[in-house]
Formats: sequence, structure tokens, C-alpha cells
Amino acid sequence: MKKRLPISTIEDEWLDWYRLTPAQRWKETQKLWAFFIALGGSLDPEPDSQSPFNSAYLRRPSSAHGRPGLHIIRRSRV
Amino acid sequence: MGGQACILYGAAEFSRDTDIVILADELNLRRLRRALASLKAECIAVPPLALKWLRKGHAVHFRCHLPGTENIRLDVMAKLRNAPSFNKLWKRRTTVAVAAGASYELVSLPDLVQIKKTQRDKDWLMQRRLVEAHYFSRPRRPGAAQLNFWLNELRTPELLVDLAKKYPQRTARVARRRPLLAQALRGDELALQAALKKEEEVERIADRIYWAPLKKELERLRHE
Repeated sequence: MKKRLPISTIEDEWLDWYRLTPAQRWKETQKLWAFFIALGGSLDPEPDSQSPFNSAYLRRPSSAHGRPGLHIIRRSRV
Repeated sequence: MGGQACILYGAAEFSRDTDIVILADELNLRRLRRALASLKAECIAVPPLALKWLRKGHAVHFRCHLPGTENIRLDVMAKLRNAPSFNKLWKRRTTVAVAAGASYELVSLPDLVQIKKTQRDKDWLMQRRLVEAHYFSRPRRPGAAQLNFWLNELRTPELLVDLAKKYPQRTARVARRRPLLAQALRGDELALQAALKKEEEVERIADRIYWAPLKKELERLRHE
């Protein structure tokens, strides 16, 4: 008896991305890059306990609001 | 290689750094140092840039401070697990034009797929998407090389079952090298998923073993 997975493992939102050409993807990623930088996104390496390079970094630069990434303008109480 | 190559191959949308593989010899290292100087690159981790570390398999990590580079990180390696020598990587490379006058030399897709077989969850996700992206951008009539690549490297159960249905004889041949394809021939996606997980675990363990002495060396360098 054939046993199918309960749901597909193919992520539909990726299918459109797969069908772009490399040049098209490059153009889109440049937009994402500009947006990320404009929002103050951090380019520091994310701590990754699985990465063999994790122990290579001498120190992690401190960042605004105690964590890397975005400048928070408003937040909930949580 | 790395995230930027994954974007161009369709496996990622965004990457915060750039990873390159270089030929580790004296002349090339001098050229690299000049290029890094022009980027105002600062070494931000251990080890420092030296042939001995690159040839051992370490990565050297930089941050570029030239205005316009936005402090992007650059990681340099010369030796990678599951990859052949730089000269072979270079011969097999893919050149991608992204705009008029702008092109990049990428590690070939088959080589990158092997390089991504590491101990990290995120690399396995990239590996899966690399092959999926190649599969979904396929021509109507894939050739033998493409079929063999998919049968050897796909990690998506339903795609393997689909291929096994369309190409049972080829799948049976490749199954001699990749036994889990027998599950694809049976159409058993559940068993296939479990077998893929076991296949992945073997590579993860091998990667941990490979990196163990290098990680010890990094710890020692870090505390010197």
C-alpha cells in the first residue's frame, strides 16, 4: 500500500521564486537588501550553536536595545 | 558560494554576508590582501588570514568598511569538506550574468549541493531547496545528467516518487548507489522521508567529526 505524506513538503511560496531567472532573483534580493538596511537590520552573524564558526568570533559587537536587528519604534507589553 | 550563490540558484531570497572560496597560494593571497585593503576589510574573528589556516580548512572572517559596502561580512575559505580542490571547483564553476557588465563566478550547483551537507539545520534546508529549484526550472525533456542529479540529490519525497514513476529503470540503477530510492519506487513517501532523515544524519555526523579538530584549534586561537 502506498503511503503518502499527510501534507506536501514543497513550500508553495517558493515555487514562484524557483521559476525566476538568476538575474530576476538578484534584482529582488537587492530590493530586500535595501529594505533590510533601511530598517537598520544588523549584519552581525547570528549566534548559531550548530555552526563550527561560532567559536571563531572574538566578541560580538553590542547593539542597540540589547539585541541585533531593527530599531523598535513601538512595542506591546509582551 | 554560500548565501549569495543560494540566491542565484533559487534556494534563498536574502543573505547577510558573502562567502568566497579561493586558491590558497602565495600569489593569490597577495592579490586577496590587496582586494581586502581596497574594501577596508577588517578581520573580525580567528584565525587571521594566512595560508596555513586556509589550507587546514578554516574560514577567515572579515567585515568591509569601505563606504558603500555597508559593513558587509566576507568569509574566505580555500578547503571545504565534500568539495574537490579549488582548481576543480573553478573548472566546474557556473558564470551568472545579473546585469549588463556584471557577472559572478559561482561554485557549480552539484558542488554546492555537496558543500551544504553539513551539521547545520539551515544548510539542509538550503540543500533541499537548491535541488528543488533546479528540478522546477527543468526543461520539458531532462537529459540523463539532470535525471541522475535529481535522483542522487533530491530530498523531497513526492518529487522522488514522481521521478521513480516516470523513470523506473533509471531509478533502479541509481538505487544501487542510493538505496533509499527503493522506497521511491514503492511510492512510499513516509518510508522515504525516514530514510532521507537517516541519510542526512550520516552526513551531519561526518561533518561534526571533520570539524572537531578545527573547532578545538579555533578555541585555542581565541584564547591566545
